[in-house]
Amino acid sequence: MLFFRSEDDLQAWCRGRGVESGPAVPVPQLWRLSRVWYGSRLDPEAPRRTPTEARAIFAGVGLTGSFWDPVPCEEPDGDCRALS
Amino acid sequence: MTFATRVRTAILEVFAETGIAPSPAGVAERLGSEVEPVLEAWDRLREGRAIVSGEDGVSIRMANPFSGIPTEHTFESAGVRYYANCAWDALGIPAALGRGGTVGSRCAHSGEPLRLEVADDGPEPCGWVFHSLVPAAHWWDDIGFT
Repeated sequence: MLFFRSEDDLQAWCRGRGVESGPAVPVPQLWRLSRVWYGSRLDPEAPRRTPTEARAIFAGVGLTGSFWDPVPCEEPDGDCRALS
Repeated sequence: MTFATRVRTAILEVFAETGIAPSPAGVAERLGSEVEPVLEAWDRLREGRAIVSGEDGVSIRMANPFSGIPTEHTFESAGVRYYANCAWDALGIPAALGRGGTVGSRCAHSGEPLRLEVADDGPEPCGWVFHSLVPAAHWWDDIGFT
């Protein structure tokens, strides 16, 4: 998970490695995600998130689609892969 | 609160206070406990992905958003330098601490340094972007790579 100074830099970086880029997330949007995701991290009573809750957090800041789906399709009832 | 949760909380508190990963002995002392139950909790926290251990199996490499080893992604605040596991966590640390400071990183393509001031209500205007190569469903397949 890296920073790029522009989307052009991101695309050039991906071309240089022959990889397909994921979504480019602007810094203000990353901040909104960070506040929701990590804002209660130091609270000992903060519960672990379910996959549904994690998916809702991503969607709540505009991160939707299969890239942001925290549960692999082969594990519909598995642990949330995005819990951290 | 379970003992493992107390250990997890203590780990995060030490990171927040010092920017440095605690040892099991340090956490035991903080909790007034023997080391052995702390080590047992360590295992449960690792299995639950609350921490990621270093190669020695004991030191803490990650307790998201904090990194136990130096990285290129940093946050400095109140005289403390914190290391983040990734670009996201560089903003995750001020979000977790609830206070402002300065994020440091670089553009992965150009190498241009990033120095981003973060106030209590968020970062200053910035046109940079964040990118994850790995889809969310596979972040924990190899969390070090992610």
